[in-house]
Amino acid sequence: MNFLYKIFFIFLLNATPLLADEASDWLKKEIDNILDAYKDTSVSKVDRFNLIEDSINNNFAGAGISKFVAGKSWFSASKETKKEYVKLFKRHLALNIASIMQGYSYQEYVLINSKYDEKNKVSMIDMEIHNDTGNLLVTWRVKKSKDRYFVIDLIVADISLVVTKRSEFNSMLKKVDQKLNELNVVLRSQNESSYSIITN
Amino acid sequence: MINIKSLLIILFTVFINFSVLSDEADKVTTTSSDFETTYNEDEIFDPIEPINRVIFGFNNVADKIILEPVAKGYRKLPSPIQSGINNFLSNLRAPLVVVNQLLQGQGKNAAETTGRFVVNTTAGVLGLVDVADKIGLEEKEEDYGQTLAIWGVGDGFYVVLPIFGPSNLRDSAGLFLTYSTDPFNAYAVREGEGWVVPLRTATNAVDKRSKIIAEVNALRNNSVDYYAAVRSSYYQNRKAAIQNIDDSELTPLPLISVEFE
Repeated sequence: MNFLYKIFFIFLLNATPLLADEASDWLKKEIDNILDAYKDTSVSKVDRFNLIEDSINNNFAGAGISKFVAGKSWFSASKETKKEYVKLFKRHLALNIASIMQGYSYQEYVLINSKYDEKNKVSMIDMEIHNDTGNLLVTWRVKKSKDRYFVIDLIVADISLVVTKRSEFNSMLKKVDQKLNELNVVLRSQNESSYSIITN
Repeated sequence: MINIKSLLIILFTVFINFSVLSDEADKVTTTSSDFETTYNEDEIFDPIEPINRVIFGFNNVADKIILEPVAKGYRKLPSPIQSGINNFLSNLRAPLVVVNQLLQGQGKNAAETTGRFVVNTTAGVLGLVDVADKIGLEEKEEDYGQTLAIWGVGDGFYVVLPIFGPSNLRDSAGLFLTYSTDPFNAYAVREGEGWVVPLRTATNAVDKRSKIIAEVNALRNNSVDYYAAVRSSYYQNRKAAIQNIDDSELTPLPLISVEFE
C-alpha cells in the first residue's frame, strides 16, 4: 500500500511540469504556424491574414476574452448585440495578434520557461525573442479545457494584451454610455482600418 | 451477469457525470467577480483627461513625423553601433540607479550596479561594451519614481507630458529629480556644455523607441482608443518595474472562462 502512495505522490509531483511542457509543445507548433505564414512569400497578404486569423480563432479563447473585455456592459446588451460583438472582437483580436507577430516574423525565438499555476489552472510560457540589439520577453498564458489548449492572454514586456484591451474598451464604452451596440459600430470601423493596413 | 450489470451501471454513471462536468466547463457563466481587476486597469485616475488627450495627440504626431522615422533609421545602423550607444547611455544612468537602489534598501543590487559601472567604464571602453553582463552582473533599472513608490508615495493622477509622454504626478516628480541630480548632466552644465543634456535625452528616446517599433505600431494601428491603450500600458509597465517581480506572476490574471468557439 505504501508503494502505491509513493507512486501516487511521484505522479502528483510530476504532473505539474508535464502540463506546462505539454502546453509549451503545443504553443511552439502554433507560433511556428503563424510565423511560417509570414515567411511564405508565395501567399498574398490577404490569404496570409486569413490563414493567421483562422489559427488565432482556433487557439485563442476569443469569446471568453471578449466578454472579459466588455466588462459590465455585457450584462445589459441584447443577445444579437453580444453575438455581433463577439464576432467583431474575434477579428479585432486576430488583427492585433497578427500585427504583433508580424514584427517578430524574422526574429529568432526560444521558449525559455514554462510554469503551471495550479491554483488558476493556467500555464505561463515565456518566449524570448532575440534580435541584434537585445531580447524581448513575451509570456503566453494558456489554459486547458477538454483536452485542448487555449491562449487566454499575451504579455509583451510586462503589458498584458487582455488587460490593455479591457482598459481601452472600458474607456470607449464610457463615451457611449456603456452601450455595446454603439461600441460595435466603432469596432467594425477600426477592424476595417486595421485590416486594410495589414493586407496592403 | 450481476458483475457486468454493475460494471455497466458504474460506466454509465461515470459517463453521465463526465458529460455533466464537461458541459459545465463549456458554459461561459460570467459573474461580476469575473470582471474584477485592480483600479490600475479600469479606474486609472485621470481627472485632466481632456488636456492629456490634446498633449497626447501632439506627441503622437511628433512621434509619427520625427521620432519613429529617426528610430527606423537608427535601426539600420550596424548592430554593434546600436548596442554601443545603448550600452553607453545605460552606463551613464548607472550612478543614479545605484542611488535609487540604496534609497530602496537594495544593497546587493547597488553593489552589483556599482561593479557594472566600474567594469564597463574601464574594460568596456567608457561603457560602450557591456563586459559586466558577460561576467554575470546583470543590468537592473531603478529610478526616483520607483523609489518614491516604494516609500509609499501614491501615483497621483495620470498626466501626459509634452515630448516625454505618459507619466503621473509621482513619476513626473521622479523625472524632475533625475534631471536635477544626474551627475553627468550637472558636469556638462557646469562646464558650459549644456547642449549635451537635450542631446542625451533625444538619443535615449530614439534608442528606446527603436526597440519597440513593431509593438507601438501594432498598438496604434489596432486600438479603438489609442490614448486609453497607452495609458493602461504605462501603468502596467510601471507597476511591474516598481515591484521588481517576474512579469507573468505579477500581471493580474484575467478571469477568462474558456469557451469553445
